[in-house]
Amino acid sequence: MSARPHAGLSHRTALLYLAPWLVSLAAFHLYPLASAVHLSFTDRNLLRATDPRFVGLANYRAILADPAFARAMKTTAVFVVGSVPLTILLALALALFLARPMRARGAARAIVFFPSVVSFAVVALVFKSVYAPNGPLLSLLATIGIRLPSILNAPSLALPAVMAMDVWMAAGYYAVLLLAGLLAVPADLYDAARLDGAGAWATLTRITLPAIRPVLLFALVINSIRAFQVFVEMYVMTRGGPLSSTVTAVYYLYEEAFFRFEMGRACAASFILFAVILALTLLQVWRIGLRAPLTESGR
Amino acid sequence: MRTVRVALLVLLAILYLSPFLFMAKTSLAPRAGGAFPDFGNYAALLGDARVLRFTLNSVVVTFAILAGNLLFASMVGYAFARGRFPGREPLFLLLLATLMVPKQVLMVPLYLLVVRAHLIDSYAALTVPFLVDAMNVFLMRQVISSIPTDLEDAARIDGANERTVFLRVVLPLAAPGLAVLAVTTFIAHWNDFLYPLLFTTRESMRTLPVGLALLSQGEHSVDWPRLMAGATIATAPVVALFLVFQRRIVDGLLKGGLTG
Repeated sequence: MSARPHAGLSHRTALLYLAPWLVSLAAFHLYPLASAVHLSFTDRNLLRATDPRFVGLANYRAILADPAFARAMKTTAVFVVGSVPLTILLALALALFLARPMRARGAARAIVFFPSVVSFAVVALVFKSVYAPNGPLLSLLATIGIRLPSILNAPSLALPAVMAMDVWMAAGYYAVLLLAGLLAVPADLYDAARLDGAGAWATLTRITLPAIRPVLLFALVINSIRAFQVFVEMYVMTRGGPLSSTVTAVYYLYEEAFFRFEMGRACAASFILFAVILALTLLQVWRIGLRAPLTESGR
Repeated sequence: MRTVRVALLVLLAILYLSPFLFMAKTSLAPRAGGAFPDFGNYAALLGDARVLRFTLNSVVVTFAILAGNLLFASMVGYAFARGRFPGREPLFLLLLATLMVPKQVLMVPLYLLVVRAHLIDSYAALTVPFLVDAMNVFLMRQVISSIPTDLEDAARIDGANERTVFLRVVLPLAAPGLAVLAVTTFIAHWNDFLYPLLFTTRESMRTLPVGLALLSQGEHSVDWPRLMAGATIATAPVVALFLVFQRRIVDGLLKGGLTG
């Protein structure tokens, strides 16, 4: 390559163009992150006028010993374990169905993806009215003889009802993601399997699933991370109720910060959650095995 | 076989569209004395100063963030794609690392920052922290990297200054990427819930999703038809965008992950 006098940007120009992000990075990422670490070691409470004191690990200890936190973690675990595997299975089934050659694929893809472009808050609001005492779901169930109490006011039904909505929404999203993976599997793999006389089940387990394994793992990991942080649905539909049965980890954190104004404890809780999410992610990647780099599997 | 497939497709469409059809149907429910498609709820919304204000706030906030990202994310993406400055690789890794930090870790310190700056209930709080999105920078860096440098070099040899090269040469060539950025950013912030909830306390500063959610939790009994009319209005721009840019939106959102 010959040296060109004008090739590329000068350092000064590059820095100038980088500046908006550098400012944003410092002000809205690095500074808040550092301040969250610091706050998590103080007894900062917005309702107290006195200066926050350094309390060491007291916030972390208090949260880990708080029965309400333990309960929130359990509720979150139920939410994640109950919805994520089901979501991925349904998404896989949907994607396998849509991967068959058909004219309506584009339309079907758009329809199952559609809820994902609508505001979570709006979707939650619509489901709140679907689940309402005089709403369509209860009347539909009543016509076939099943009589349920007001769904979102029943401690045993509220969490499953929110989970059902989450599965419905996320299955469509991940179906489209997995479909992209399925359509990228080279056709000659299938031809070779057919020549070897492989049946439908053998083709699925020996060819299709190994081929889309990276996308499948990616979907599992990002859906777990998202489900672990579920908040908006709870805020809109149940406000953590009834009887705290839908207080999830992030909802607990929200109440700690914005009802009790315990900012130090809320920050400590956020780092505990961060650590749990990270551990969970690494565990999934390690258990299921990651043959292909994650960065390529998102496509 | 074909019948089964058609039946499954119909079932799928019912399953995924019926909640939204129910939303639209409820919004057209007759008010006292009317007949079924009654647009009275929409008329009532237009007369409801609160909902008009939510809508205005959503429009102002979304378009401000959109404008910021169109300009800033492409500037920063351009610097990463074309700059040869020291520290470029570590800075780019830092950019990717910020994508991994969960929202809930930043929500308390960001809230305190806004409180300390006395910016609760301001458009500044609702927009400034979101003007340069790391995901958008990443997207624009990829898009600009894939454009050949010949035209930029030619423009420089013709005596164009750096600003002209960026605005007149790079941005037009990056237009397909900017379109993806525009629709995904619009959808993300039109729908955003968490930060508009945290950064506002006055009803007059609520955005549509937050305002509608809080109206459903008022002390009075919920006026579902009117609320569903509001939800329909909040959904309409997204439906319109989705109908036109479906493929770009799907591709763009699959890269970013499903976010609340």
